[in-house]
Formats: sequence, structure tokens, C-alpha cells
Amino acid sequence: MSGMTDEDVDVNTALGLTAWAAAAVVYLVAHAVDTEFSMFWVFGLAFGFVLQRARFCFASAFRDIFLLGHARNMKGVLLGLAVGSVGFALVMSRQVPLTGLGIYPPSANVLPLGIHTGLGGLLFGVGMVLAGGCVSGSLYRMGEGYVASWVAFGGVMGGLLLSAHTWNWWWEAHISGAPRLWLPHWIGHPGALVVTLLALAAVYVWVVSIEHRAGMVVPPTSGGGPQAASPGTSGPRTESVADDLRSTLRRVFVHGWPVLPAGALLGALNVLLFTAREPWGFTGEVSRWSIAMASVVGVAPGPLAGVESLPGCVLVVSDGLFFNHMLFLVLGMFFGSFAAAVGAGEFKLRVPKRPVRYAQSLGGGVLMGYGAGIGMGCTIGAFFSAIPSLAVNGWVFAAFLAIGAWIGTLMIQRIE
Amino acid sequence: MEGGGTVTPTKLDVRGEICPYPMMRTVSALKKLSRDESTLEVVTDHPPALETIPTQAARLGFRTDIEETGASEWRIMITRIEAGAEE
Repeated sequence: MSGMTDEDVDVNTALGLTAWAAAAVVYLVAHAVDTEFSMFWVFGLAFGFVLQRARFCFASAFRDIFLLGHARNMKGVLLGLAVGSVGFALVMSRQVPLTGLGIYPPSANVLPLGIHTGLGGLLFGVGMVLAGGCVSGSLYRMGEGYVASWVAFGGVMGGLLLSAHTWNWWWEAHISGAPRLWLPHWIGHPGALVVTLLALAAVYVWVVSIEHRAGMVVPPTSGGGPQAASPGTSGPRTESVADDLRSTLRRVFVHGWPVLPAGALLGALNVLLFTAREPWGFTGEVSRWSIAMASVVGVAPGPLAGVESLPGCVLVVSDGLFFNHMLFLVLGMFFGSFAAAVGAGEFKLRVPKRPVRYAQSLGGGVLMGYGAGIGMGCTIGAFFSAIPSLAVNGWVFAAFLAIGAWIGTLMIQRIE
Repeated sequence: MEGGGTVTPTKLDVRGEICPYPMMRTVSALKKLSRDESTLEVVTDHPPALETIPTQAARLGFRTDIEETGASEWRIMITRIEAGAEE
């Protein structure tokens, strides 16, 4: 049934080990320079590895509800949000024990809420469906060899630059006066956590009801991933401890992961990163690259008002330095996915044949970049890290992401 | 390969496509199959399509057989489930 032979697996294992050895060298060098660099490199590798292994795609989580009437990825996202919310609540209850005083947790993604939140989510939602992946999705697909995802990432950088050029207007007109709504201020940490978990449960019930209305069909050849049908993985064939370990390793490094454990793991990693410094998010760092490149050719924006006072993935003006901890996080995500894909034999250069796909990827990327700029984050920073921050802006961004994804779904069905 | 007819099946090559076009183009090809055509052969290098194509094909009354043909490349044989026939 499967075309992947034992020799193929051995070659992939060797290539994968080489990639991980390279990652270890980067770790050691980064560690010698700054221990925060190496720590964020490891976080990035872990995020990229999990995203690739489970093909954890936020764009499809939203899109497939409208396009297919199923919610495989959304269920993983919801579980990740629930795990993140519990962990974030514990961390924030230590940071801000007295919620009645109007104090905010210093690094949680409680962001100014206004028109920019909704428009940001809407543009991002349209863009991620047009481009076939959000920013984190594009990053891990870049590591898998999808050429269109590189184009989309370029679009994201362009969109972030555009948003930086309009930032001061947004700041003056909308963001500076917008409220930061943090649920624990009104109902304390336990109340805010309960409300958040109940809301996540309500969304879960809603998406399951959509699946049933669409008539969920279990296909005759369903399975846990691309190589689910390959031989040598069924339990009874295990003969020795070595075989047993080998099949366990294959389940982690070769076979695609189910989405629920991946969602839970991403949520847990997000909590861990929050305890280390700040929640998961990286479009601010990508904007730093974009603005630095723009300054080389003289098209960088001037100073951005108010950005120093905001948490989350707000735009970052280059400080003239090349390395910082966030650079290691983003590059780690890319490299973690690349190493995971190579080890599983899933790396392949995928070059779209239809020219319109490049336009879609670029245009979708620009929409995502602009949306992430004014929304102060992407599906990660303004959503996956914002809802667990028990912040209202996360829910508003999510609602507009969904509307945008619905519009995007209508659009891609009209593009052949 | 079992399940194929004696006639050469219609072929659809969606390699290189971005998400979710492998699935969408397969679905529209299945809808365009004439009544006397029972099989569509899809070639893809997009792993998520290995889950979405069987699901959507099943909704349209087709069964699928997936064969890995190379490094991250698969051939999906999609066969119409004849009315009254078991499996």
C-alpha cells in the first residue's frame, strides 16, 4: 500500500538527524552568546515541530467550517485555547493578585479594543484563506517546501510595512483612546477563567452542530495521516523492545499526529513561554525585519507613536541590532518544521503551476500583514495568546477572523 | 490497483497546488465525471488532501484508495460506489 520503504525511512532518519544536529549547533553557539537566544531557539523549534507534525493550520480551522462543514482543526485550536487559558490564568493570578485595582498583567496580550481590532481580524481572515495559510501556517509550510508560502510570507512583510506607514493615523484616531478590556478586572481570575472556558465549550458545541448539519462522513480509507497505512506500525507485529521503541519513534517523527494532542501541546508550550517572558506571537518581530529592510532602501516609516506602551505583537521599529530573542523564535519555528518534514520524508519543493496562485499568496499575505499590524497580532498573538490572556480583544479578533474566513472562502471558490 | 475499470480513468494532476485547491479541484472533477465514468485518478503532493479528498468523495458517493507513489507524492483512485453494491 505505502510507497515508503524501510530504506526510504533510513534515509529520512539520517537527513532528519543531520537537521537536528545543525539545530543543536545553533543552540550551542546561541547559548554562548546569550542564554535567552538559545531558550527562544528551543521554543521556536518545538512550536515548528508540533505545527508540522500535526499540520496544525489555523486558516483551515476557520475555513473548513464554511468550506466543508467540518471542524477537525478548530477542535484542536479550541483545546489549545482551553489549556492556554488555565495556564495563563494561573500565571496572571500570581502577577496581579488583586484584580480590583485596575492593574494589568505586564506581558499578557490585553490589547486596545476598537475598530482596528475588527478590521485587523477581518483582513487577516480573508488573507489567510486566499493565501492557503496564516502566518504560522506559512512559516511551517515554508519549512515543508511550499514555494507559495514563501511568497505569502513576503506579502506579510509588505503588509506589515504598509501598516507601519499608516500606524500613526490609527494610533491617533483609534488605538490611543481605545480601552483595554481584561475580564479579571470585573469578575476576578476564577470568574474570568470559567467564563472563557464556558465560551470555548459553547463554540465547541456550535462547530459540532455544524458538522452534523453538514453530514459528517467517515471516509472508507480514513487514517491518522499520510503514512497511516504503512506496514510495521500495528501493535501485534511488535516483536522486541527495539521494535517497540522503533514504532513509537515512528509515531512521533514519521506519522502525522492527530490534532487534539497537538493543540493541547501548543497551548502548554504557550503557557511555558509566557512564564519565561511573554505569550507566543511573532508578527512584531517580522515587522522589525520588514522595517529594517525598508530602511536600507529608504522607505522605512518614521517613529511609531505609542508602540513602546503596548504588549503583544505590536509593530517593532528596528533598533539597529541584528539578533534578538524573537529572531531565534521565528527562525526556530521555520527550522523546527523543516527538520520535522525532512525526518518524516515530507519535504518537497511544491511549485504552483497556475500563475494566479502566486497573486493569491502575495495578496493574501499583504492582507494578513496589514491586518496583523493594526490588530497587533496574527492568529497567534491576537487570538491564540489573547483569549488565554482573558482579554476581550481576543474574542473580537476571533469573530472577525471567522467573518473574514467566510468571505475568503467565497472568494477562493470563484478562483479556479 | 483494484477498483479501476477497464477504461483508462480520467486523470487529475494537482501537484504543486496550494491549500485547499487539491481537494476543491478534485470535487469539481468528480462532479464533471459522466455517468459511465466510474473512476478518477488524482495525483497530489499535498498531505492534508489525503484526509479531505476521501471525506468529500464519500459525500459524493465515491470510495478512495490512496497509494504513496514517491517522496511525498500520492495517487488517489476515486471510484464511484455503485447503487446497491456493497463496498
